[in-house]
Amino acid sequence: MSRLCFAISLCLVPALLFSLLAPARALPPEEAEARAILLEIDELWRASSSQGQVRMQVRTANYTRTLVLETWSKGKDRSLVRISAPLKEKDTASLKSGATMYTYLPRTDRTIRLTSSMMMGSWMGSHFTNDDLVKESRLSEDYAPAITFRGERDGERIVEFTLTPHPEAAVVWGRIVMTVTDRGHLPLVAFYYDDDNNLARTITFHDIKELGGRRLPTRLKVVPADKPGEYTELVYESLRFDLELPDSFFSLLELRRR
Amino acid sequence: MRLGAMAWRTLMRSRRRSLITCFSVAFGVLLAVTFTASADYSYTSMINTSARMGLGHLSVQHPAYNETPTLDRRLVEAETVRQAALAIPGVAAARIRIMGQAMFASGARSQGGSFIAIDPGEERPGENIFLGNLVEGACFVESDGHGVVVGRKMAEKLNLRPGRKLIFTLADKNGELVSEISRVSGIFATGDDAVDGSLVLLPLGLVRDVLAYEPGAASLVALFLADHRRAAAVRAELAGRLAGLSGLAVRTWRETQADLAGLITVDRLFNYLLQLLVGLVIAAGIMNTLLMSVMERCRDFGIMLALGMTPGRIVRLVLLESCWIGLLGLLLGVFLTLPWYLFMSRVGIDFSAQIGNDYSAGGVLVDPVLKFALSWQTALVIGAAVFALTMLAGIFPAIKAGRTVPVENLKRV
Amino acid sequence: MNLLSFALKNCKRSPARTWITIGAMAFAGAIMIFYASLIAGWLAAMERNAVGMDLGELQVHAQGYRDDPDLYKRIEDVETLVAALARAGFAAAPRLFSGGLAAAGNASSGVQLRGVDLDRERELTLLPRHVWQGEWLAAEDPAGAVIGRKLARILGLTVGDEVVLVAQAADGSTANELFRVRGILKSVGEGVDRSGFFLGAAAFRSLLLVPDGAHQLVVKRLDGSEGLAVATSRLARLLPACEVRNWQELQPVLARLLAMSDISLVIMLLITYVAVGILTLNTQLMNVFERIPEIGVMKALGFSPWSIFFLILTESAIQVTAAVLLALAAGLPFSFYFSANPIDFSDFVATSSTIAGVALDAKWYCVVTVDSVLLPVFFLYLIAGLSILYPAGKAALLNPLAAISHR
Repeated sequence: MSRLCFAISLCLVPALLFSLLAPARALPPEEAEARAILLEIDELWRASSSQGQVRMQVRTANYTRTLVLETWSKGKDRSLVRISAPLKEKDTASLKSGATMYTYLPRTDRTIRLTSSMMMGSWMGSHFTNDDLVKESRLSEDYAPAITFRGERDGERIVEFTLTPHPEAAVVWGRIVMTVTDRGHLPLVAFYYDDDNNLARTITFHDIKELGGRRLPTRLKVVPADKPGEYTELVYESLRFDLELPDSFFSLLELRRR
Repeated sequence: MRLGAMAWRTLMRSRRRSLITCFSVAFGVLLAVTFTASADYSYTSMINTSARMGLGHLSVQHPAYNETPTLDRRLVEAETVRQAALAIPGVAAARIRIMGQAMFASGARSQGGSFIAIDPGEERPGENIFLGNLVEGACFVESDGHGVVVGRKMAEKLNLRPGRKLIFTLADKNGELVSEISRVSGIFATGDDAVDGSLVLLPLGLVRDVLAYEPGAASLVALFLADHRRAAAVRAELAGRLAGLSGLAVRTWRETQADLAGLITVDRLFNYLLQLLVGLVIAAGIMNTLLMSVMERCRDFGIMLALGMTPGRIVRLVLLESCWIGLLGLLLGVFLTLPWYLFMSRVGIDFSAQIGNDYSAGGVLVDPVLKFALSWQTALVIGAAVFALTMLAGIFPAIKAGRTVPVENLKRV
Repeated sequence: MNLLSFALKNCKRSPARTWITIGAMAFAGAIMIFYASLIAGWLAAMERNAVGMDLGELQVHAQGYRDDPDLYKRIEDVETLVAALARAGFAAAPRLFSGGLAAAGNASSGVQLRGVDLDRERELTLLPRHVWQGEWLAAEDPAGAVIGRKLARILGLTVGDEVVLVAQAADGSTANELFRVRGILKSVGEGVDRSGFFLGAAAFRSLLLVPDGAHQLVVKRLDGSEGLAVATSRLARLLPACEVRNWQELQPVLARLLAMSDISLVIMLLITYVAVGILTLNTQLMNVFERIPEIGVMKALGFSPWSIFFLILTESAIQVTAAVLLALAAGLPFSFYFSANPIDFSDFVATSSTIAGVALDAKWYCVVTVDSVLLPVFFLYLIAGLSILYPAGKAALLNPLAAISHR
């Protein structure tokens, strides 16, 4: 499974996992259960490494574009995404290593390290910001989960989690509300709210299928709340898990390789 | 008869004319004081304001920081520098600060800007203009806490108010991006939109942690002087005391605020030029009076020469007349100027209704109040210059008088 | 006897006194003329640098662009529009804007990318002539970029260096291109200094895939005498679909500042006038009071008080006229010389600077206007006329006997 693309879409999943891995803390039973279920979800996507192919469609008021991305990931901190189509943008690549992101631009044969001023810029023209990508691995430390609803909604039994950022956490969201199926714990939808409790964006999960030996949603759609009609959609075309990927694969040298 | 007394009597013989001439000298004094004192006041206030906007009158920094201020260029022994600076007489305050660029975000909104990290226990509005212009809340109190003070424009743009969360992201000393949460404790408004929309005060201890700086490291130590004109002298003294430390440079406001220094230089030159032109008009007036007086006394000079006075003494006589005009004019000038100067240096004229409070020059906020400030040195220079001008104006008439031919003049009526 | 010829004769009788009087007034007048043209030059430079540098007299944007700038809010059909505006008495140049990132070596910085019309921009603003190092953009060098002064410092760039520009193109793709620094601007204002990255419009369009339209039209009145407010509403009527603003609306602080600086310079000019006034008053007083015995003789010969009065006035008028002619002859060459060859202070200043966002030139040009010549001349006549009234009146009412034995 591509860590990066899932990082984009399911920022919260590893977050939950790593909060569970955090040293023993006396958790209230509710929160302990929330973490247990979310660990299960995270297990679903989690692997030591992944490789995949994703079709990303971005629709905005001004353009619609479709990209085919090839993705690799290892652990929680390393990921590489390379555009394989369309031809014009082929080989443009993003490397995330820890908290640092690099972009490789084949046309000018330059690697650019993202500076703070670019963090809120769009990632490859999508509705994700560069910040979303960099922050995802920190989410574990940043949020506390709680089960806020369990029962039937729209004819389906679901569990709803609310993730509240720790007071000290450097995150922009006020809270994240996520819904998963009660059975199998597959994600359905996630709502992101800002500090004023206004909905900022929604991620929905569709097309549960088997890919790479796992059963998971293969299509996800990100809808920004303030731009009606716009969305970014990711469709996973192939996925492989637990490959042998050396650390050197996620290096600046590899980033530039065509 | 003594020449001085003779010159005095000559002047007193046509009192009106002499009085008007003295008055024009006095007017010159008034004018020079007005131009120079208002300019000096505004330069001083601009320099001090600019110092209060972050860099001080002097700052001790990494040698390359002034060229390109990045966060990897830091001063490791800031505290040592601070102590050394405070030991120098004339240094009123020394503040350790980290200054750089950062990205600020709240909710889905974000904005690039710059920050000054300060120790809230140390900083006072006298060295920090932003703390002097808080419009909401207060400054944070803990150096390792998470409080921040933001500008009003940025607060509007990011929808912030005291208590709100603000995330800042910056590149640490190794170039890694790091984010930290903070909460707005106060909002300032200087009136300059560019500053109010982009500047944030952060706690020094917190920023040090975030940047992984050594304890005690900072971007710079900003020094504040009681008198900005001593900047170069203090720099020399401090550089001597810090000779043992490497990796630092002491810079005056002229280097760190080159824009402002350039602006002041150009403005001062323009000002001098205008004053010189007015001075020439006044000198022409004095010369005119003396020439007229010399001309109508041709007969007298002729008699004097015939009685055995040397031409040199006549030259000295006329020069003494212009000397008297100069002295009287200066005296009159002091009487005329003093009340005006006292009023302008204490009260001043407030132009904020005309130009508003949001006027900046050379990137520095400017006080919209017109006031005077004049050091005694400058006042002496003005007096000397006006007197010299008077004497200069007397030279040609004096020479003219000295060239009188006795016999010929006696023939004339 | 003819008053004029009599007055002339009087003037000639004591040539030294006459010439001293004329000389002093002429000198003062010459200085005033020079001074007035200096001040006119300063005001013109302030306004030219404020308005003509980058802001322009008028700006046109697509509706909503100013509130929330984005690449897609464009004015369409620019060429047709510019042609139509030219027929309506406006010169216009299209500009394109976008955010982006410039990177060189390890440094990078956010920039405001600006695509300018190479031919038209030159006619409308001074930016193309405000280059500090290197040269302005040229059509034959599409890979050349001109950048702001502080940006160059932040990125450590000098003329000839390579710089990578990254921005999001109109189709959402990541536009990136290598440019060479062709020129670095002098200080223009904080925005341009810190983030201005200028490209030719063609280079901008092909980089960001914006085939047509513009984000801004910078507009200038062809007829400078048309009032700014009138021109603004006329332009707004021509372009109902766009936002039209003049520079005073765009930069109200600047407009107020310029108005203030007008006032303070006029005050300085008045101060000079006072100095000239004192001088003139003294010359006129002396001119009459030195001649009291002479006037006494005239009165004794039967001149009426009125004829004495007018005689003195006429003499004074002759002298002032001579002084004015001399002043023009002496002052105007200075003014004209310095309008072509500015007083240059740039050696004293290491860098270029700004006042309230207005680029400050360390060069001071004179500007000779009708006002800068006529006002000093008029003032000289006025002050001389006023200051002669008292001595002339006094002379007219003299007791002839006392006057003859005066002294």
